[in-house]
Amino acid sequence: MSWAHHIQELLFPSTVQGGWVWVYIGAGIIAGAAALIALMSTPPRYRKAIVVAVTFLGGLFFSLEFLLPHEPVTAFGHTLLGKGHVTGFAQGLTNAKPSVADWAMIIGSFTLLLGTFNLFHVHGKAVRKKTAGWYNSLAFFISFFLIMVAGFAKDAMGGAAKTISTQAFAILFNGFVQQLDATMFSLIAFYIVSAAYRAFRVRSAEAGLMMGTAGIIMLGLVPIGAILTNWLPHSGPLASLRLENITYWLLTWPNMAVQRAIGFGLAVGWLAMSLRIWLSLERGSFFDRQL
Amino acid sequence: MGGMTEFANPATYVVEAILVFLILWKILSARRGRELFIRRIPGLSVLDEAVGRATEMGRPMLYAPGMSGLDIVGLQSMAIMSHVIKRAAAYSTRVIVPLVSPVLYTVAEEVAKDAYSTAGVPEQFNPDDIRYLTDQQFAWASGVVGIQHREKIATAFYFGAYAAEALILAENGQMVGAIQVAGTPSIIQIPFFLAACDYVIIGDEYYAASAYLSREPTLLGSLVGQDYGKIVMIGLVLIGVVGVSAIALSAHSPWVQVHMPWVGAFGQFMKDHFLKYFPGHS
Repeated sequence: MSWAHHIQELLFPSTVQGGWVWVYIGAGIIAGAAALIALMSTPPRYRKAIVVAVTFLGGLFFSLEFLLPHEPVTAFGHTLLGKGHVTGFAQGLTNAKPSVADWAMIIGSFTLLLGTFNLFHVHGKAVRKKTAGWYNSLAFFISFFLIMVAGFAKDAMGGAAKTISTQAFAILFNGFVQQLDATMFSLIAFYIVSAAYRAFRVRSAEAGLMMGTAGIIMLGLVPIGAILTNWLPHSGPLASLRLENITYWLLTWPNMAVQRAIGFGLAVGWLAMSLRIWLSLERGSFFDRQL
Repeated sequence: MGGMTEFANPATYVVEAILVFLILWKILSARRGRELFIRRIPGLSVLDEAVGRATEMGRPMLYAPGMSGLDIVGLQSMAIMSHVIKRAAAYSTRVIVPLVSPVLYTVAEEVAKDAYSTAGVPEQFNPDDIRYLTDQQFAWASGVVGIQHREKIATAFYFGAYAAEALILAENGQMVGAIQVAGTPSIIQIPFFLAACDYVIIGDEYYAASAYLSREPTLLGSLVGQDYGKIVMIGLVLIGVVGVSAIALSAHSPWVQVHMPWVGAFGQFMKDHFLKYFPGHS
């Protein structure tokens, strides 16, 4: 085993057990904090260059990983790309992709703490100053700590405490969180009705066309639609006038064509935006002051 | 591994190279001072009207970036938010920004702080108005609905990635009488916004928003480059249609097989050298 491999194993071990887990967690936090402090204390002129360089390298990694051929590329009978070490290098980038993607998760974990701090700040102020609806903020603190304690206890404790905390967590999560989620989701049914009422008021030719199309599709998707045109044959030219067939045609052809057209435009827009961010051309949109 | 959809194929190289070239070319020519024209986008032209309404009513505005995280959609949403805040700052109107992503929350806070500073009123920045609510979709929607009703918002902007919560927010915005402007790259949600909002920007107008609002040469150039890119895409679609039609005609029309055999040969050529690079072709 080479010395480079030993260093790699020491810094990025594949598995860590026992007390070493805490050592690595502590070292990771210290290294992260040190990097953050170093970045913050860097003069703005150089900080900007660091941000631009990191953004470019990050974009370059994922671009190369996608663009470099993993197998030799042939066209018109000739191997155009993928000779020599290129495919090996591309495969190496693909193998490293999960580790690189982990960095995003690590940064996300740091910001989760900031988000939680913001929640505590906003709701803490509401409770402290007894502003209107302060009891909602109190409910936030109670539910936050209840589910946090139950969540930790069910994994960390044993015996009766584990049973109780597991049940408490199940009640809080399955009984409250999931049910409230489902309640919010089911409200959409009622909102669709009120939105449809407004949308279907015929105020222009376009609105009339939309209402007519929506009427055909709604009828075509329910049994009554099939009954209305059941007198038409199931095959032959007249079959295409059956409501369920008109519905299928509307959804598959005009609707899909429009969706794909919008999709193409979005894809080109996405590419342009990515390019501007990768090359740090977009920066002026976000931060007018010096970074 | 190595399948057509996972990594680039020759068609990807060619198409991406053309698109990147067009975008960068137009950016450079715009930076050199060339005048570029972009058409009026009604959903973005009403920005001042929407801000003015909130100012007249003395009520805050809501800017909801949806389910966006720190990705292209989220960053574009932040760029639009920056412009909204700058306009709002000129009239001392509050903008409340509820977020679902803790990563985007930190970016939003910095962008808002910067927008107020640029507008010359850094003291108007209130950290409590940039709120991280939760990372759960419907819990976030519920939180935003609460803000809409409690704060009696006068204007609502929905710019970002949206899913089922789009209609919940837009309908509650209607209930509180807010003027609503929406834009999302989530194609499925566009009809819901169209039904419930006053103004909606559709499709790639979402990515045109920052250029339209700022008139910054780099962004304008990029926007014009995008339009050229779309022309390239239309051309590719047309070539594909011709190729597929030739294959279908030669396969199903005996008359074409007898009198126009070159159609079949052309279809086969297209299949071997063009269509095979586009996954999903039949």
